[in-house]
Amino acid sequence: MTEINPYLPEPATILETIQETPTIKTFRVRLDDPAKMRSFSFQPGQVGQLSVFGAGEATFVINSSPTRLDHLQFSVMRAGEVTSRLHGLAAGDKVGVRAPLGNHFPYEAMKGRDIVFIGGGIGMAPLRTLLLFMLDNRADYGKISLLYGARSPVDMAFKADLPDWTARSDMTTVLTIDREAEGWEHTVGLIPNVLLEMAPSPDNAVAVTCGPPIMIKFTLQALKRLGFGDEQIYTTLEKRMKCGVGLCGRCNIGAKYVCVDGPVFSYAQLRELPNEL
Amino acid sequence: MSAAAYLPAPRLGEWLKELSGRYLVLAPQARGDTVVFAPFTGDAEPVLDRDAAMPPKQAVFPATEELLRYRRVKDPEDPGKVDVEVSASLRAVETVVFGAKPCGARGFLAYDRVFRSPAISDPYYAARRAKTLFITMACAAPGNSCFCHWVGSGPSDSSGSDILLTPVADGFVVQAVNERGEELMNSPLLEPAGTREAKAREIQDAAAKALPAAPDISRAKDSLMAVFEDLAFWEEVSAKCISCGACTYLCPTCYCFDIGDEDKGMSGRRLRTWDNCMSFRFTLEASGHNPRPTKAHRLRNRVGHKFSYYPALHGGAVACCGCGRCVRLCPVSVDIREIVLAAIARAARVREESAHD
Amino acid sequence: MSALEMLKDKIREALPSLEFVIGWEQGFDALHATPFFMRTAEDVEKLVFGPLCVHNLSTYLPSFRGRKVGIVLKGCDSRGAIELMQEKLVERENVVIFGLPCSGVADLAKLGRFAGDLDRVLAVTWDDETFVLTTPAGEVRVPREAALADKCLTCQFPNALEADHFAGEPLPPATGPDMGSDRGGEELAALEAMAPADLMAYWAEAMERCIRCYACRNACPMCVCRDHCIAHRRDLQWLGQDDTPREKLMFQLIHTLHLAGRCTECGECQRACPVGIPILALRRKMNRVIRELFDYQAGLDLQAVPPLFTFQVEEANIEERKW
Repeated sequence: MTEINPYLPEPATILETIQETPTIKTFRVRLDDPAKMRSFSFQPGQVGQLSVFGAGEATFVINSSPTRLDHLQFSVMRAGEVTSRLHGLAAGDKVGVRAPLGNHFPYEAMKGRDIVFIGGGIGMAPLRTLLLFMLDNRADYGKISLLYGARSPVDMAFKADLPDWTARSDMTTVLTIDREAEGWEHTVGLIPNVLLEMAPSPDNAVAVTCGPPIMIKFTLQALKRLGFGDEQIYTTLEKRMKCGVGLCGRCNIGAKYVCVDGPVFSYAQLRELPNEL
Repeated sequence: MSAAAYLPAPRLGEWLKELSGRYLVLAPQARGDTVVFAPFTGDAEPVLDRDAAMPPKQAVFPATEELLRYRRVKDPEDPGKVDVEVSASLRAVETVVFGAKPCGARGFLAYDRVFRSPAISDPYYAARRAKTLFITMACAAPGNSCFCHWVGSGPSDSSGSDILLTPVADGFVVQAVNERGEELMNSPLLEPAGTREAKAREIQDAAAKALPAAPDISRAKDSLMAVFEDLAFWEEVSAKCISCGACTYLCPTCYCFDIGDEDKGMSGRRLRTWDNCMSFRFTLEASGHNPRPTKAHRLRNRVGHKFSYYPALHGGAVACCGCGRCVRLCPVSVDIREIVLAAIARAARVREESAHD
Repeated sequence: MSALEMLKDKIREALPSLEFVIGWEQGFDALHATPFFMRTAEDVEKLVFGPLCVHNLSTYLPSFRGRKVGIVLKGCDSRGAIELMQEKLVERENVVIFGLPCSGVADLAKLGRFAGDLDRVLAVTWDDETFVLTTPAGEVRVPREAALADKCLTCQFPNALEADHFAGEPLPPATGPDMGSDRGGEELAALEAMAPADLMAYWAEAMERCIRCYACRNACPMCVCRDHCIAHRRDLQWLGQDDTPREKLMFQLIHTLHLAGRCTECGECQRACPVGIPILALRRKMNRVIRELFDYQAGLDLQAVPPLFTFQVEEANIEERKW
């Protein structure tokens, strides 16, 4: 049978792990089949299912950029069974990958516009892929600004990226933590408050935000105050998923399945969905 | 379409034995006080005088099935290095489901739209579905919990079946629904139906007429969305629900599943199992957040999925075949018909009230 | 005035100070009553009571901790409520109990043995001797003894043991040669007489048809782990996902052991089973052992400490020193 088996993961090898924070670990993986790795492609915002054989699968955004395809990067916050087992893995260990799954950021429609990234905690992961993609296609976009916040300096992930992001002249980067901490040279304050101070213009702009629900709630309010319309704001949703291909029936919000219709939604789209986040 | 045939009742066992030579034949059989579909062995006659507790859904969608196997292989040169080999498991045997009611066979039409859609084909489902034939028994009289006619079906609906049997005096009128059914009828045990065919039609018509008038549930899709945020409504209609999974597992159209690994030594299996949207853990996220934290939220999703979300995605078709098992076998008699009608009434009242404002 | 009318009066009177009172109303057909949450005086009109009120409503109580609710309880059901209160899972002061005398409830599985297809029963009536089922094929008469649940035939507690209001005249306990012990009657005796291999084969066949819906668990008033049941804890893997009698029986054994000294033998586990697996026998067996070891029956006394909630250095009937 030549039919595609959507449940069959591709064996892959962990090339490198990075302990980002006490609870977040990044995995760089490569598909074992060189031909499949060569032909692999995805769009920024799409997700993948990572298998730890014996523990099962869980869904993570591919947070590397499709413009840099020597590996796929996933950042995993330790929370449940699969993520705990993933955290126990090291370079050379085997995983399974089912990717790409889901929809992606409408990066074509965003061309020519200013982009405001607002990420909180692990919510920076889905933003990273789009940010890297846009930096690699820099001419296509207007002003790019990034507001990335975490509870404390130790909770800041993607530390390897931060020097570049803060140093670049073709983007504005603001890093913030919730409370003063020794040695912290950047901003202090909650993301929504810092955002209001940054006051990005909504004119011809798009905001892309991801983070914990409470941050999203207040960030959305702040964006509204700044004049951003619902159709100018994008986020990615998370749900418990199993199949990742719209069949198993648990990630739906009304008739929309986060695994195939998402994870990326504009706030205009979310407003149309029943309230069951 | 070939002419109808007649199978005298005493030859039923023989016909099933004959089919058993070529197919795995699943037939309704007594187990304790209940009736379930089980492989026909010839030791006992199939039970046709009452409905099976379970629909025949295991025939195409087993409670547990193996999706794949994996094996860890140690590198002999470097025992710290372990490779993983993954292989898909796909087993499907030629099967005949005998003696399901039209509703039970028709349940798979709801599956087909999901598991064999233009967007995706589930190879496990597709393989079994292609190899499973249905010899269905028309209903002569409706049961108290039956409501197939609410959802566009009827007691002799042959959609989803390959052969339709109608019980007549001393036997069955056998009608092929499609070519695959015709092939199955190629047996010396069957004889021409003659005038019995007309008799079968009479019985079918009488069964359809015996059903009480069906209410109009065309508004269910929009009404369920209209009352979505009315949690007081959902708390009221779910108050007596004990949040078990009987309704989902007994349902011929419920297809939600879980996937998990069973690990043993250096190898293991990835299994798909039936899952149950009435369970707290169904949507529980690793963070501890649960978008459907109470049985009210969960029952809302179950009813909403069947009568609103699914129809929105599949051209108005509801994900319910009206078999009534969820009503009849619920330990506390939660009645999905009542809930759908209550939602329609509630939405209509809200509409009226807002029109008056 | 009938007991039911007295009961309705008492409920109407108490309702203003309660969120709701849980009782029964007529269900989707003649054979089914269904649990009913009464919130208004009009609701109370729909209250029914009789041998079709099979459900043990005390199952609902733990989900309403800290809330003022009322509940209608038969004698056997009251044991569930008492046991929950003994275990501090339900606060006595928050529950207003409307007790009833009960002369027995029907076992639908048994009625099915007489009437065949229960989904086509049109009407049902009963008196002191007979249940009469009207079916499309005519009347089916079932002797009361053959229609009642097993637990009712030897019922020692026909009246609610704990009640704020009691409607009707208390009934005497059942009498007979085999009364007053947690025997499972002939069924249990037959199982006990089996050789281990035969017993295993018996359970393997019975569990084959289990669909793992866990209605047995959720209908059980004493199954209070609910959303955190070990059956769903994948990280512990107490139970595998394989659809085999072995895994399914394993759950029944876990369930039974978790009920040791707590089970009031209301029979809801077996009644709730949509495929009629005779799982009550396992609980009966456990209850018999508990009775022998601790001389204890669950849910009889609000003040009693369930035997496995405590221990004595020298248990009277456990002779561990003589091993």
